[in-house]
Parts: sequence; C-alpha cells; structure tokens
Amino acid sequence: MKPSKQNNIVSDCLLEVGSLLMGSGASTNRIKVTIERIAETLGYETEILVTHKTVLLLLKNKKTEKVFNRFKKTAPHGANFKLVSGISRMSWRVVEENWNTDQVNQEIKRLQTATRYPFLLTLFMVSMADAAFCRLFGGAYVDMAIAFTATCVAFYVRHLLLKNQFNFYLCTTIVSFTACFISGLAVYLQFGVHPNLAFATCVLFLIPGIPLINSFTDLIDGNVTNGLVRGINAMLIAFSIALGMLGTLYIYNF
Amino acid sequence: MIHQLEMAIWLAVASLGFAVLFNVPKRTLVVIALLSSLGGSCKLILINYNIHIVIATFFGALLIGLLSIPAAHNKHTPPLVFSIPAVIPMIPGAFAYKAMLGFIKLTENTSQTAYDIALNETISNGIIAAFILLALTAGVSFPMLISRKESIKTMKLK
Repeated sequence: MKPSKQNNIVSDCLLEVGSLLMGSGASTNRIKVTIERIAETLGYETEILVTHKTVLLLLKNKKTEKVFNRFKKTAPHGANFKLVSGISRMSWRVVEENWNTDQVNQEIKRLQTATRYPFLLTLFMVSMADAAFCRLFGGAYVDMAIAFTATCVAFYVRHLLLKNQFNFYLCTTIVSFTACFISGLAVYLQFGVHPNLAFATCVLFLIPGIPLINSFTDLIDGNVTNGLVRGINAMLIAFSIALGMLGTLYIYNF
Repeated sequence: MIHQLEMAIWLAVASLGFAVLFNVPKRTLVVIALLSSLGGSCKLILINYNIHIVIATFFGALLIGLLSIPAAHNKHTPPLVFSIPAVIPMIPGAFAYKAMLGFIKLTENTSQTAYDIALNETISNGIIAAFILLALTAGVSFPMLISRKESIKTMKLK
C-alpha cells in the first residue's frame, strides 16, 4: 500500500478516537494519552492539539521521518461514559495484543453502536434523583412527589427538544422554565410542607457536572485554554438554568 | 443514626440517577452508589461534629476521589466514570438557589435597611455556594492527578 494512503487510514482512525472522547466527556490529558498510546503501537509518533470543537493531529512516520497533518471536528457534545470507558479499555488491548488499524476501526464501530439505557428507565431514575435531592435538603415526602413530577415532565421536554437539534443553551432554559413552572404551581397554591425546596431541586438534573469537574482537572493539568473554555461552557449552562427559574419567579411573583 | 442511614440511601439514589443519565457501563453502577453514600455520609457526619460545610465537603469529595482509584483498577474503567456521578449529590443547590433569589431581590426598589440585609445574605450564600463547588471539584480531582504519572494502570497499589 502507498504510504500516503496508509497515513490517511491511520490518521482517520486516531482522529475518530480523539473526536469521540472529546464529545463524550473525557479530560484533555486522557485524550492525549490515549491517542499517543494507540499511535505508538501502530508505529507512529504523534503530536496533537485538542480543542473544544476540533482535534488536530500530526503523524510522524518513524522509518521515513515524514510528517502528515490532519484535523477533524469533534463529535457532538453529550455525556457518554460507556464510550470513554470502552475506548480506554480498547487502548490497553491495542498495546497488549498488538492490534493493527483495521481491528481498532472495527472496535470503534462496535463501541459506537453500544446501547444507551432505555428512555423510560432514564426518565424514572433522573426523576428519582431530583426527589432524592429534595429529601437531602430537608423536604417531606409530599415535596419529593412534587419534585418527581416536575422533573418527569421537564426531562421529557428536554428529550423532545434535543431530538430536534435545538440550541443547547436555549433548550436548557426552556426545560428549566418547564420544571420550575410545574413545581412553582405548588408553591403558589401552598401545597406541601416546604414546596420551595421542590422548586429549588427540580432543576438540579440540568447542572453541568462533567464540564465543571473536567474544567478544574484541565486547569490544574496545565491545559489552561481548554479548562477556561469548559468552565465558561459550564457557567453558560448554569446561567441558562437561572434564566428559566427567573422567568417563573416573575410570573408567579413570589 | 436511622436518619443518617436514610440520607445514605437517598445519596445513592441521586448518584444513580446521574449515572444513568451519563450512560455509565452497567458493571460500575453498584460501586457508584456505594461511593456516593460513603462520601456523602462522611460530609454529613463531619457537619454534625460542627465542622464547616466547605471543609466537610472537601473531605467527602476527597474520600470519593481516593476510593475511585482502586475501583478503577478493579473494574477496568477510568476513575472519572466513578467519581463524577458520585460527587454530584453534594452540589450546593440550596445555597445557589438562595443566592439567586437574593440577587433578584437586590434589583427591586426597597428601603436602605432591607437592601443591606438582602445584600449581606446574598453575598454570604453566593460565596458559600462558590466555595463548596470549588472544594468539591478540588477534592475529587486531586487524587486522580496525584495518582496519574503516566496512567492509573502502571501504578502499584500496596
């Protein structure tokens, strides 16, 4: 096979790994380490630049000393730890069993088709999580039921909006507004023991946990640019949630 | 004591909700629930002994971060898969909410004394929320950073 074609195949494979990891919520250092580990086994030296939206890769052939450059936009951002875990596991098997590019490509395809949890189970678990938050902050069982209902409806709305490729921040605002509107009704009618706790906790499933923790990890690691970008992203999401709450507060005028 | 146990169960439920939302592998679910209830209970017990909530949160998150490393060895999964869903039940939702309400109150036209009280409360709640968040992320990422020279796998656990 001609070396240029070989370069194309290898770089495509490595960029796919980087793009998927960035999209599903891995820290910058993890992406670098994983790509370098796979490239080493395939017989290439690499330099990479990872940003929030693109991954840039430079391949150095160890024998011919030629370099090859390519970049790719990242997969759409959305938490998927099954993929992160699967790629991390794969990278070790690549080293131990000395895989070639085809095997890596096949494994990536298999990992991408791995299923998510069923929607109804996710809906139930997320609603239970918000009810649990309500209890942790000192709410009674009635308040938990309010938080559960509000989250249930809001999560379904989120599912519908995300399916139609809506702007993510706008979607967060609308979902937060929906959740607060339903639980705010309980506050307005003085239903329940501490209905304002349900009001505060029914939006907690939207909080940007992964961007926040990854932002801190990246900053401490020395990947300051990526850390800042992720931090600003997390703040924007938090701001969107607050905007949705603000809307309901003005409607009900507590 | 019974109250403590009940809180531990709710902590586990909250973390499981986020674990399912983040689509973690099935084999890690039990460990996540366990880590979350241990770390959260650690925080609640420390608060009972009159330790400040920021420091208590830091130690709770630190416990989760430390325990996620042997768990990562055992289940062949990166430690962040365990630690991120497990620390989320500790986020300062109530403080952030009160701070937000306070900010809204500050935009209204009120008397000077009412404004001063609102300002005091808002700043106090906002800063506590910010510091808890900082303690949470710091506590959970320090063990990951210390343990990782090259990767978790090459480190010897004795």
